[in-house]
Amino acid sequence: MKYLPYILKHLRKNWIRTASTIAAMALCIFLIASLQTVLAAFYGTIDTAATDRLITRHRISLAEDLPMAYEARIGAIAGVKRTAKTNWFGGVMGSSGGQPDMRNFFANFAVDAEPYLAMYPEYGLTDADKQAFMQDMRGAIIGPALAEKYGWKIGSTFQLESIIPPYRADKPFEFVVRAIYSVDTQKYPNHARDMMLFHWKYLYEKTGQRAGVGTYSLQIANPSQAAAIAKAVDSTFENSDTQTKTETEAQFVASFLALVGDLGLILNAIGMAVAFTILLVTANTMSMAIRERRTEIAVLKTLGYPSALVLALVLGEALVIGLLGSGLGVLMASTLIGNLGSIPGLQGFGSVAMSAGLAAGMFAVGAAMGLISGLAPAVGAYRANITSMLRQV
Amino acid sequence: MAAVDVQSVRKIYKRDSQEIVVLDGLSLEVPEGEFVALMGPSGSGKTTLLNLIAGIDRPTSGKVIVSGTDLTTLSEGPLAKWRSRNIGFIFQFYNLIPVLTAVENVELPLLLTKLPRKQRRERAMTALKIVGLADRSHHYPRQLSGGQEQRVAIARAVVADPAVLVADEPTGDLDAKSAEEILNLLQTLNSDFKKTIVMVTHDPRAACRAHIERHLDKGVLMTTVERHDVAAPVGAR
Ligand SMILES: Nc1ncnc2c1ncn2[C@@H]1O[C@H](COP(=O)(O)OP(=O)(O)OP(=O)(O)O)[C@@H](O)[C@H]1O
Ligand SMILES: [Mg+2]
Repeated sequence: MKYLPYILKHLRKNWIRTASTIAAMALCIFLIASLQTVLAAFYGTIDTAATDRLITRHRISLAEDLPMAYEARIGAIAGVKRTAKTNWFGGVMGSSGGQPDMRNFFANFAVDAEPYLAMYPEYGLTDADKQAFMQDMRGAIIGPALAEKYGWKIGSTFQLESIIPPYRADKPFEFVVRAIYSVDTQKYPNHARDMMLFHWKYLYEKTGQRAGVGTYSLQIANPSQAAAIAKAVDSTFENSDTQTKTETEAQFVASFLALVGDLGLILNAIGMAVAFTILLVTANTMSMAIRERRTEIAVLKTLGYPSALVLALVLGEALVIGLLGSGLGVLMASTLIGNLGSIPGLQGFGSVAMSAGLAAGMFAVGAAMGLISGLAPAVGAYRANITSMLRQV
Repeated sequence: MAAVDVQSVRKIYKRDSQEIVVLDGLSLEVPEGEFVALMGPSGSGKTTLLNLIAGIDRPTSGKVIVSGTDLTTLSEGPLAKWRSRNIGFIFQFYNLIPVLTAVENVELPLLLTKLPRKQRRERAMTALKIVGLADRSHHYPRQLSGGQEQRVAIARAVVADPAVLVADEPTGDLDAKSAEEILNLLQTLNSDFKKTIVMVTHDPRAACRAHIERHLDKGVLMTTVERHDVAAPVGAR
């Protein structure tokens, strides 16, 4: 610790060089931290997916519906506790004219309410809430984030129009808020707060009974049987016109996010490349800084400074750069992420935050990058021979 | 006992296949409390010899015993520790650390000790007082004249109270007046603080401040001039 002023004074002396190195490091950490946080938000959905839920969908395409008649046959398979029709509605507000306004985009599902809510405890609802919803054909359950954003209360009405052609009627769908769900953030930290659910029957009737079933949500009695049951379901319809694909909720989300996965790989590769570049820049800076101080290092050694201490002083300098850079980078990233929700089109990220673990990890990455960049000059200083360094001024 | 006892030391540099014999079986004894001037033509091995005495270089063969320790038996770590306690090194170009103030420069050797911060500062200030620069303690090297820088360097060399000081052309880069001040200071350190001093110099006026003058040529010690009627420090006259 008593050597800290020595380290800091050197950094301050060449403050332009120090500042630009710290800025480069900060930018790198900022980039990685932001990407990781966003990716973690995507993948978080997978981690918290329940293991006792399966989803049955059209074998070929998510856009194709399944026949209603399948429900009874799925329900009859041993081990299936409940089934619930679930359609992604794709409803958008104020889309008159066909151009959906993406700023008002939120997830909305037509669900078979009774079994659906029973298998999704993530939606925190009182019995009175549920009853009020069940009694209104046009009833809607909305998330707290939607209530806040649009100022909706129980009894508020709003209209949605689907972007999916078969789900479009002559007029937009009308909804009445009947319940606002809450989320137990301890139990379900990643459950979305901006979802909207409504009656599947409403969709069916309003589309002139043309709507099929987007997916079936299945609750099974024993999670360990998930694979066997999924197989049983799919083989039931193997020889029909419409074949199915049944997966656990986690697999379903994962396949839905497969694209995101590829994206994650690319983004991580970019992050690594940037980190490597910054590492080279920092290493170069450190080498320059130390090369300029050859005589000084020889003097310290002449005064009796052990080689290990000289090594530590050089590494200390690199470490300070690494820590300041990563601190700044983490600060910038968390500021950006904290304000992501207020950027048009990115409201979905409103509740995303950088985890403390990631922040700590980024500090570790910064520190490691600093140390690695300082390693070569530090070892050089460690090994340097006093007399030959004093000789070449 | 001699403060410095160099026994038949050889120092050979190998460059490619060529061998350069810099010191060829050289022996030198410096009694405790002496002030020795080493003279000789450029390339005669003066700096090499001084570095051996200071323990920052090793002989090819022979022994170097300083303040009772045979330096050739010490490995890197113990040798560094030994230097921090027993040797004060004064360079031709001062070699102060530019980002540190005068007092911080003087304090550097004390950082290696267990002394608390306050005492380190006090001792550094005392050393600066001895060289007459207490009022410049917070100046940076670039704000000092060459002579002042060298005085700060001398304060740094004596702050840990080593018994032996070595100086490599300490006045080589200074004007006559500053050189005079530095020589006065070295004489005072020798006479009042009982430091044994080995000083390399090209300047006969500097050499005549020492008790003993040794001439080195082609790695061999030649003449010896002993002076027991050394002029007192100029300031004390
Ligand atoms: N590391 C080294 N490798 C090869 N030769 C060296 C090395 N160090 C010193 N020498 C040679 O040793 C000889 C003596 O050098 P040294 O520096 O001791 O001389 P000096 O008497 O101090 O000279 P000057 O008065 O110019 O300072 C020179 O010929 C020099 O070239
Ligand atoms: Mg020399």
